[in-house]
Amino acid sequence: MTAYILRRFLHLIPTFLGATFLAFLVIQLAPGDFITRLELDPSYDRAQIENFRRLFGLDQPFTVQYAKWLSGFMKGYLGLSLSYQTDVWHVLKPRILNSMVLVVSSIVFIYVVSIPIGIYSALRQYSWGDRFWTSFAFFGLAVPNFFFALLMLYFALWLKDTFGHEIFPIGGMRSLYIDGVDFFQAPKWRQWLDVMWHAVLPVIVAGTAGTAGLTRVMRTQMLETKMQDYVRTARAKGLSERVVIYKHILRNAVIPIIASIGFLLPELFGGAGFVEVVMAWPGLTPMILDAIFSIDVYILMGSISISVVLLMIGNLLSDLLLAWVDPRIRYS
Amino acid sequence: MSDIHDTNLREGLGERSQSYWQKAWMRFRRHPFARWASVVLLVLYSLALFADFVGPYPEAKSFRKLQFVPPTKVYFKTEDGRWTRPYVCKVERSRNLRTFKLEFKENCEEKYPIYFFVKGYPYKFLGFIPMDLHLMGGPWLVEEKAYLFLWGTDDFGRDMFSRIWFGARISLTIGILATIVALLIGITMGGISGYYAGSRVHIVRGLFRPPQKRHAASGEEGAAQQNGFFSGGALAEGWREAVHERRVPVFLVGLVLQYAFWGAATAVLYTTMQGFLSISEGLERYLAMLVFGGLLGTMVWMFLFGRLAVDVDDLIMRTTEILAAIPGLFLLIILSGMLAQYDMPSSTRFLLVLTILAFVGWGGLARNIRGFVLQLREMEYAQAAKALGAGDTRILFRHIIPGTLGYLIVVASLAIPGYILAESGLSFLGLGIQEPSSSWGLLLSKAQQIGISAIKERPWLFIPGFFIFVSILTYNYLGDALRDALDPRAEH
Repeated sequence: MTAYILRRFLHLIPTFLGATFLAFLVIQLAPGDFITRLELDPSYDRAQIENFRRLFGLDQPFTVQYAKWLSGFMKGYLGLSLSYQTDVWHVLKPRILNSMVLVVSSIVFIYVVSIPIGIYSALRQYSWGDRFWTSFAFFGLAVPNFFFALLMLYFALWLKDTFGHEIFPIGGMRSLYIDGVDFFQAPKWRQWLDVMWHAVLPVIVAGTAGTAGLTRVMRTQMLETKMQDYVRTARAKGLSERVVIYKHILRNAVIPIIASIGFLLPELFGGAGFVEVVMAWPGLTPMILDAIFSIDVYILMGSISISVVLLMIGNLLSDLLLAWVDPRIRYS
Repeated sequence: MSDIHDTNLREGLGERSQSYWQKAWMRFRRHPFARWASVVLLVLYSLALFADFVGPYPEAKSFRKLQFVPPTKVYFKTEDGRWTRPYVCKVERSRNLRTFKLEFKENCEEKYPIYFFVKGYPYKFLGFIPMDLHLMGGPWLVEEKAYLFLWGTDDFGRDMFSRIWFGARISLTIGILATIVALLIGITMGGISGYYAGSRVHIVRGLFRPPQKRHAASGEEGAAQQNGFFSGGALAEGWREAVHERRVPVFLVGLVLQYAFWGAATAVLYTTMQGFLSISEGLERYLAMLVFGGLLGTMVWMFLFGRLAVDVDDLIMRTTEILAAIPGLFLLIILSGMLAQYDMPSSTRFLLVLTILAFVGWGGLARNIRGFVLQLREMEYAQAAKALGAGDTRILFRHIIPGTLGYLIVVASLAIPGYILAESGLSFLGLGIQEPSSSWGLLLSKAQQIGISAIKERPWLFIPGFFIFVSILTYNYLGDALRDALDPRAEH
């Protein structure tokens, strides 16, 4: 087992180098660089611009820039953001934390909602309830994230117009004032409450597709396990239905779902996607979009490399978890 | 013996024997949603094809003064309640003097009846047949006396109803085309990877005999050859093999490619080292010297004495792993974000978006197809084809790949909605299709651009979103039905 883990880790190194190099290459595809826009600004003269280029290493060939970035990454330094004029990690950290509020709550939402529904659907296959949840799953898988977010905003506006005050906030992550006190001066728990209140609709949007997907997986898993011989044996030897369902079916059915927890790791740090853009949540995704348009290389490289590392570790973790949960699987 | 072919062996059982595809077709037709999904998709695609005919206005026709006009009301009854030919009233723009907002009011003094199959704006059907027939309209429409905006207008005063059908062309075809391209790459890469798994290809052959490989000379046949300084190298060995197997041209081409690649790699590494050393100092500098020096040294050693053979399968699979290591949405957004900053004609942009989608998506397909090919190449029919002297290409594409057809169909039908979603997402962010072309994602992005609180006043801007939703939903249903139908384990 240790040899297996070690080998997998060694495998990760070329993959990491390849992925980050590919990302770096992609960023080089953009026309010009960050400094190009300064060239149009008459308040900078040529010498200044050349100086900037040299300062950020933009006058070097891009392989050199990559090597420099990589050497910084080894030391735990992600580089300097060109547009924020500060350390990349200082820019990324608050954004990642903001995104995490959404991502963590939507993951909890997904698991809490979809596992019971999946179990119910499988145990009462083809009942009206099952049909309802199946169509819900199809809806959830088909509705585009950004469209759903827009609909939610519309819903929030409608609520506001109908009831005269904001039942749900219209976009954003925090209110300016809580009961007349500035947000940052309010007590901590009030701040949290306010953020959670803002997070309700985005979490529903971010969680719907995942809930739909997981519901279907859970249902299929339960149905498949239900047909196994050992379940029949369990029934034949006279176990109560409760024990059969919860001990024999459920425990085996959730194995792949437990194993997939490893895949959540990169999601935690990857931002919630389109929702953040539409609902004006100050998370990672809007910042990445800004960085793309200003060709802020190291912001992009920083967020990509974090995602890549976590994705690879998450995959490894999933494989190990699977072996740990399911003794039938052995790696050599 | 010949009548065995004619006699149906199961005839006595009252059953006609059916092929796999016939059974699959039966199962598909029996699926509850498959028929509805197919009908809806067929309707959507034909509306897209006849977009010029269905929409009353051309794609780029804009009315500068009529931005965000609400949908034109169509009246079926006159004021006194009698049924009549559907008609519309003229909308007039006015500014509310209290709120300073633009308002559109209907002026029903004159009625403009809607005629069907009438002459309107000229267009070229299918791109080359000049026509001016439209589904709805009237002479007043072309003369711009009144307007027919069934689903309102956008920020440039363009008719949403027409633009949605023009957008459907891009949104609905890009999914199919991207799937086809991704499948082509995936089949080729996965096929090669699976078929040649286990056989090694030299990527570098050293020129000279490795110093540590001094064969005990005495008596062994060909020892002189193997001990020669030059003739003992991997290069000479490869040459002898190539002459022996009569594939000298292939060997030479491979050799040139090898040296070109390694030469370029060395050059890049060298300039990188130079640049890096010039901008770093202290410990970093020494470490870099060590790493770069080691790398360059290894390469030179390989060049002179080494021998390196890799599995093509490994190479391709590592590539897909690298692609898979970057989160898909991330790669998609960054790739198209970087390329979206160039100016290009809309047809080029369409191809670009298509290529990006396929590039991001082929890896997973290749991995799955490789798995199939690994399995199928050991089948008797593949072995038989080999024994009969068929070439690799023929065996791979005529005997093995067709075996994965059922899987490919299912994968394609489930990949299309994914690509439709990806394209509309990119266009929604302004990174995909751009003005003046239209696509559903781009049209929907207008709903967001105008500011959050204005959404409520302009709900018709949501309509493109429903079309994205419907097309993805129907494709999902279709894919589900196909998967059930083509599953060989299904017994019905």
